[in-house]
Amino acid sequence: MRRVTPDTIAVVDLAVCDRCGLCLPLCPPEAIHLELNMLTVDDAACTGCEKCVGPCPVGALAMAPPAYA
Amino acid sequence: MPDVDLLVVGAGPAGAVAAWHAKQAAPALDVVLLERDRAVGSPVRCAEGVGDAGLREFANPDGAEWVSRRITDVVFQAPDDTEVLLADCGLGWILDRTRFDAHLAAEAAAAGAQVLVGAEATGMSRNGDGRWHVRVKERGRDETYRARIVIGADGVETMVGRWAGLDTRVPARDMESCAQYVLQGIDFNPDAIYLQFSNAIAPGGYAWIFPKAVGVANVGLGLVALKTDGRNAREYLDAWIARRFPNGARTGYTVGGVIVHTTIKKTYADGVMVAGDAAHMLNPLSGGGITTAMKAGRLAGGTAAAAICAGDTSERRLSTYHEAWMQLLGEDHLKYYRIKQALGNVDDTSFNQLARTVNKIPAEKRTIGRVFTHALIKHPQLIPVAARFFV
Repeated sequence: MRRVTPDTIAVVDLAVCDRCGLCLPLCPPEAIHLELNMLTVDDAACTGCEKCVGPCPVGALAMAPPAYA
Repeated sequence: MPDVDLLVVGAGPAGAVAAWHAKQAAPALDVVLLERDRAVGSPVRCAEGVGDAGLREFANPDGAEWVSRRITDVVFQAPDDTEVLLADCGLGWILDRTRFDAHLAAEAAAAGAQVLVGAEATGMSRNGDGRWHVRVKERGRDETYRARIVIGADGVETMVGRWAGLDTRVPARDMESCAQYVLQGIDFNPDAIYLQFSNAIAPGGYAWIFPKAVGVANVGLGLVALKTDGRNAREYLDAWIARRFPNGARTGYTVGGVIVHTTIKKTYADGVMVAGDAAHMLNPLSGGGITTAMKAGRLAGGTAAAAICAGDTSERRLSTYHEAWMQLLGEDHLKYYRIKQALGNVDDTSFNQLARTVNKIPAEKRTIGRVFTHALIKHPQLIPVAARFFV
């Protein structure tokens, strides 16, 4: 199956993230996970839609090219 | 592999009450209540306000050690800081959630449920034996629980619902981003909660002051990111506090999401129910979810106990939970959601005018009904807002 790689994907700054879980239900492909007090974005599943970025109450999520993610 | 009848994921108000009421309804059942964090009730991600009547269905606040403050008044603040006082408009309480959640978990334990802290569900699957197999990490150890019914009371993240194939996603316009400080040494009426509406202060939501003691309050706000100027919730809150309480000492801080949506279309599946925030069971107008979560937990726990005793944990059987919830509060929340959408169209100038008009009603005659009627007569531009309320 061929998948178009987005130009940028979501990355989390764990030094800023408060682990509140707000971004999880906002993610259409359900690519964000919170397990053992660690937020992770599944690079392969993220579609680069940015829906998680603005609502983060502390600005812990940003978009970056996959190579730097 | 521990074999249990009912596994409840999340020991907040929804989960604790579900475990408590399931065990109360059917004392012979094995009920386990899982809490991911090291302590029930912590960290607090809540403004901690609750109405009197709803609370009393589950716990008596008189003299309780889990109460911070008794509230009698509401102060609405317009964007230009004009205050509208509604005195004695109904009793409410500001809780100490660390103690309150522990109290509810203790009720569940007293009824015979097993409470496990530091135990995180990490996934679950339905096997051929008609049970859910739930993977749990507990202090570095992996364990799989086999359960006839799983109740997902796991809050905004709502992983149990996701694992069971339910659609628990939220559109961005229905997610409020919240930030809150505990401020000490500030001046306000400690018998009142304050709500300030303004697109400049908290676009799409409101800012609040909820007293915890004289001079101490939860001071926070919730906003809809799509309506902001690009700053995040914390930056909006810092700006508001810098103007209102520049000398307040910040002794606590929390952030989180409040889902101001309506109940998810389907809250059940074979051997699964979701309750509370996880099923978007909040008042979408106020964002209040403590009482709604407890009521949902009571329904889910009761339904689970009856279903297990009857030997039928099918989706069809558990659908009665959804129907009962919609009748109890779900349908009301649909109405509140429409009001919320209508209020989103009121601009700051209209709010300011409204506050001044309402203040012309003598304080002792100021009831919510009168305020509403008065508002419509003096401000016909609000009629479309009111009309949508009744649609």
